[in-house]
Amino acid sequence: MAAIKLTGIVKQYRGEERPAVDEMTLQIEDGEFFVLLGPSGCGKSTLLKMIAGLEEPTRGTVEFDGTCVNYVEPGDRNVALVFQNYALYPHMSVRRNIDFPLKMRKMPKAERHAACESAAAALNLQRLLDRPVSELSGGERQRVALGRAIVRQPEVMLMDEPLSNLDALLRVQTREELLRLHRAVPSTVVYVTHDQVEAMTMADRIGIMEAGELVQVGRPKDVYRQPASRFVAGFLGSPPMGFLTGQVEERNGSVYLTGPGIKIDIGATARPPSGSALTIGLRPEHLRLTSDGSGRAGAWTVELVEALGADQLVSLTAGAARLRARVDATAEFSEGSQVGVDFALEDARFFGEDGRAVGS
Amino acid sequence: MTAVTEPEPALRRRLARARPAVLTAVVVAVACLFAIGPFAYLISAAFKHSLVLFSYPPHWIEWPPYFGNFRYLLEHTAFLRWASNSLGVAAIVTIAKVLMDSMAGYAFARMRFPGRTLIMAVMATGIMVPTAVLIVPLYFLVKSLNIFDTYWALVLPPLANPVGVFIMWSYISALPPEIEQAARIDGCGPFQIYWRMVLPLAQRGLVVIATYTFLVQYGSFVWPLVGTQSSRLFVLTTGLSSLQPSLGATNWGVISAACVLSMIPIVVVFFGLQRLFRAAPAAAGLKG
Repeated sequence: MAAIKLTGIVKQYRGEERPAVDEMTLQIEDGEFFVLLGPSGCGKSTLLKMIAGLEEPTRGTVEFDGTCVNYVEPGDRNVALVFQNYALYPHMSVRRNIDFPLKMRKMPKAERHAACESAAAALNLQRLLDRPVSELSGGERQRVALGRAIVRQPEVMLMDEPLSNLDALLRVQTREELLRLHRAVPSTVVYVTHDQVEAMTMADRIGIMEAGELVQVGRPKDVYRQPASRFVAGFLGSPPMGFLTGQVEERNGSVYLTGPGIKIDIGATARPPSGSALTIGLRPEHLRLTSDGSGRAGAWTVELVEALGADQLVSLTAGAARLRARVDATAEFSEGSQVGVDFALEDARFFGEDGRAVGS
Repeated sequence: MTAVTEPEPALRRRLARARPAVLTAVVVAVACLFAIGPFAYLISAAFKHSLVLFSYPPHWIEWPPYFGNFRYLLEHTAFLRWASNSLGVAAIVTIAKVLMDSMAGYAFARMRFPGRTLIMAVMATGIMVPTAVLIVPLYFLVKSLNIFDTYWALVLPPLANPVGVFIMWSYISALPPEIEQAARIDGCGPFQIYWRMVLPLAQRGLVVIATYTFLVQYGSFVWPLVGTQSSRLFVLTTGLSSLQPSLGATNWGVISAACVLSMIPIVVVFFGLQRLFRAAPAAAGLKG
């Protein structure tokens, strides 16, 4: 296992206006399961490749356990990378795929054989060992890619959206398998994904990237509850946080957020001065719907009700404003009816004009 | 009076449906006849005595077959030497071309170095120059290198043909780069990636180059005629042309027998390499 330290990493491709990764500084602890989360094209895979040594940073340093590895070849970094498309060697059998990294390190044949068998057993691949990879299903190929990564017990395991090509059921199973594997074969894991469910369920810490920059790092719960920006708040959660934008108004000692169709009592806590623009972010699960139209956010019209089994999603409108509430499945709502929307102030997040969180 | 429309008979409908297929079959049959006809005539002539070769009406199959042409070829000409020269030169050029073109194709496809585009443009220009235009300069080049009338003169000039580089460049460019990146992480250097990943995965491209180079080299006539002089360096094409005397009657039976024997390596190489076209495509290692 190794701790990874990235200092001032910049990656600027020739001919591109913006850097793919911009001034990234990050410390990943030894043995940590760190997830890089962000939308497609935000630079997370580029960052992963710089850690692997497949891309050279334009500026900045990559350190493993305090040693700069900028000029160390990928094969000498003791890292393994599971690619999004698996990148198995199509002209080799499953066994030869798993064995290949050991063979390149000139490990004796008997040891290689034992290591292959052990990796195959951990991933339930024993019966497939002599099959060509072209005959495997997507899920099996994914496990072979994992086998090739874990067989030499790397200090750093890098994964580039390894579950994105699997169907929903297989993704859940493999997610659990990956976590079990991380506990059984401890190594520092850097896992790239754009799927916030994967990030929330697997990570010790999450780093959220936007347009080449790291915008927030923290434990999944903290990032979810206290997003540092509107971008983070909108990216985490399914369905995502609802946003209502208006102006701060003070009336009779109370502070309101007013906008087209909304008038929300946001309390008298420290907020931007009267007249300034403010966005309030509300998680669907934090909203309570009242049948008498009362509540901090006033009266809203039920537009759509989606039953999810254990609970239901209620889409609400008030003028141009929209919100979604996650409520108990037993509650009855009819489309077109009026309901009151209430929430606790401590559950709400506020964002200023620049998109950054304001207040606490 | 009302017009009665009878249903179209089933047979007519079936014939109408079959018409395009019948037409295709007839066109293919005629094309095959044109393609196979000369070969059949050549094989027939090889097993006939020269005296009956032009008899009228013609006999397609002579029975018992006459083997005298083959006997004459093997006993009174240097046919075996010409054949070994042809096979040797074609094999060496083919192996060298496959290695050189695949290495150059890999470098152009995957490596970034100064002058890369310029070199490729110069090579592309080289393809556009007709071979006939190159013969005279090539002759003077070979002379000045003191390799005229040697095996080097037969082997070296064909290696400069850049067609194979472009074929390999296009094959290797199409390989998923992630496979090479995975190999780098697993500990491969540039040559190991070329040898262990690129070559097996670009097998179809190699087979195309090998087949093309072997066939072109084996059938090459003008350059061996210009670049060599001694009869010991004759290849099959120049050797066969020497069977045609400048004066007197040509023994067409012997020439036919020589042509028949010359075709055997081509058939063997073509069918031998054909099965390699079925190599695993590189996409088999990617997502399922």
